Amino acid sequence: MFPSAKWHDRAPVRYALGSIIPGLVILAWWLGARSGSAVVPGFGEVFNVLAHPFDEPPDLNSRSLAFSVMMTLIRLFLGFALAIITAVPLGILAARNRVVEYVFSPIVELARPINPIVLLPIITVLLGVSSIATVVYGQTEAWRHDVPDQVQTAMILILWYGAFFPIYTGTIQGVRGVSTAWLESMRLMGATGAQTVRHVILPHTLPFIANGMRIALGTVWLVVIAAEIFPGTRSGLGYMLCTACKTSEYEYTFSAIIVIGAIGLATNSLLRRFEERTGHWRAVQM
Amino acid sequence: MARGSNVGANGCSPLRSPEYNMSNNPCLSFSGVSKSFISRNGEIVRAVEDVTFDVPRGSVSCLAGMTGCGKTTILRLAAGLDTPDSGTIISPSGEIGYLTQQHTLLPWMTTADNIGLPLRIRGVDEPAWKARVGEIINSLGLAGFGSLYPYELSGGMRQRAAIGRLMAAEASCWLLDEPFSSLDERTRHQLQGLLLETANSANVTVLLVTHSIDEAVWLADRIWIVSAGPGRIVESLEIAEPRPRNRMSDEFGARMESVRKRLEAAIG
Repeated sequence: MFPSAKWHDRAPVRYALGSIIPGLVILAWWLGARSGSAVVPGFGEVFNVLAHPFDEPPDLNSRSLAFSVMMTLIRLFLGFALAIITAVPLGILAARNRVVEYVFSPIVELARPINPIVLLPIITVLLGVSSIATVVYGQTEAWRHDVPDQVQTAMILILWYGAFFPIYTGTIQGVRGVSTAWLESMRLMGATGAQTVRHVILPHTLPFIANGMRIALGTVWLVVIAAEIFPGTRSGLGYMLCTACKTSEYEYTFSAIIVIGAIGLATNSLLRRFEERTGHWRAVQM
Repeated sequence: MARGSNVGANGCSPLRSPEYNMSNNPCLSFSGVSKSFISRNGEIVRAVEDVTFDVPRGSVSCLAGMTGCGKTTILRLAAGLDTPDSGTIISPSGEIGYLTQQHTLLPWMTTADNIGLPLRIRGVDEPAWKARVGEIINSLGLAGFGSLYPYELSGGMRQRAAIGRLMAAEASCWLLDEPFSSLDERTRHQLQGLLLETANSANVTVLLVTHSIDEAVWLADRIWIVSAGPGRIVESLEIAEPRPRNRMSDEFGARMESVRKRLEAAIG
């Protein structure tokens, strides 16, 4: 039923194998720094930035590394959360109701291939420079609320756009894949609709939703960093990365890249674990 | 509670009289039941036609016939999973357990949770359903396997767990569609014995679909032979041999041969 664990499945070996390529990258970086290249900072310079994340960069028109991380994560979280709370219910509805599917399917298929970044200029024009602060506190008071004022509604909208489709598609797949035999069993046991959703549809669909979320996360990471490079943004990892490049403060560029990679790895691992936990039964054919 | 179904554009068979009393009458009754399906290319396929038979309460009965003769259709109609085009079906609606070759255990639930599912659906509180599940698990020889998932069990153990779920559901009528056909012979014989034992102790009526003559003769009090194209009940055979039945005995062999000949004659 289960293949026996091979030598490469053991955790220390897996981590060692996974460290090979990052190790080569670090080696290349070290060699580049030693060569005296102007664009490759030394380990010490980058480590200094990472070790003092709350310090404002002295010569960079950017907030601290920690603040930049916070702003990127807030934007990412808001867009992602909005995508989940719209895509999952709509996906369940579309999977169980043909009328809903026929209404939404054409626009979903049309909109899905469009890169969210190319929509940012249009959406910015439409929504202006409104932020969470302007929506909640009004235009005149928004400036008093630093963090919400830097969360642009246009950016949240394109992050939602980037995350919505994989989660919506995954949800539909999950609901549609529920075996008729299970539904009939529940019916014969006298289960109500809510009990069937709770015991069958939701557990079956969760790993598909998790998979959709993992795919969506990859997309929104790309989108949020690119969007923060867009004019009008004043903070975030993408903003820091781009500003540091323009002023040749490459230690901040490298630090931002390392942090983006680390957070991306951590969030992807979390979602992968969630997917494995909810979908452990999918791996084995019965 | 009885379910009467009287549908069809071509008129209906008469319902049973108002004096019909389930306690003195068959657990399951088919009267002139027909069912057609529309195939993918629009063709009407007559699956079963004018099926009439009664399953006595507390008995073990078999529907025997070739593959594709409509046995599964008859079982699904009895379970209420399909509706007949015409005729009447009287069955203990709400008290039916259904088991197929594909056990339909939920793979994301442990074996114990699967067995306890009918009790949870009925709103039985946790200590009570867990206690009942424990009893069932022990009686089915699954002690120690309750915390495993269905995919971690062998095929035979999964079917035991599926039978356990029927027991927890406290259904009065079990409809079984070739439940043991994918198992090896030894496991099949074990589970046939277990089925008889649990059905007898729970006073359950069993209607089993099989294409195995050995299984039909060993288990059943009565065998209905179903002909193909469209499925019809063409013969009814009573198996009066006392239990336990001995597969090695000459009488068993002779009975099997007799059933085989009747089956071949009936299906042409």
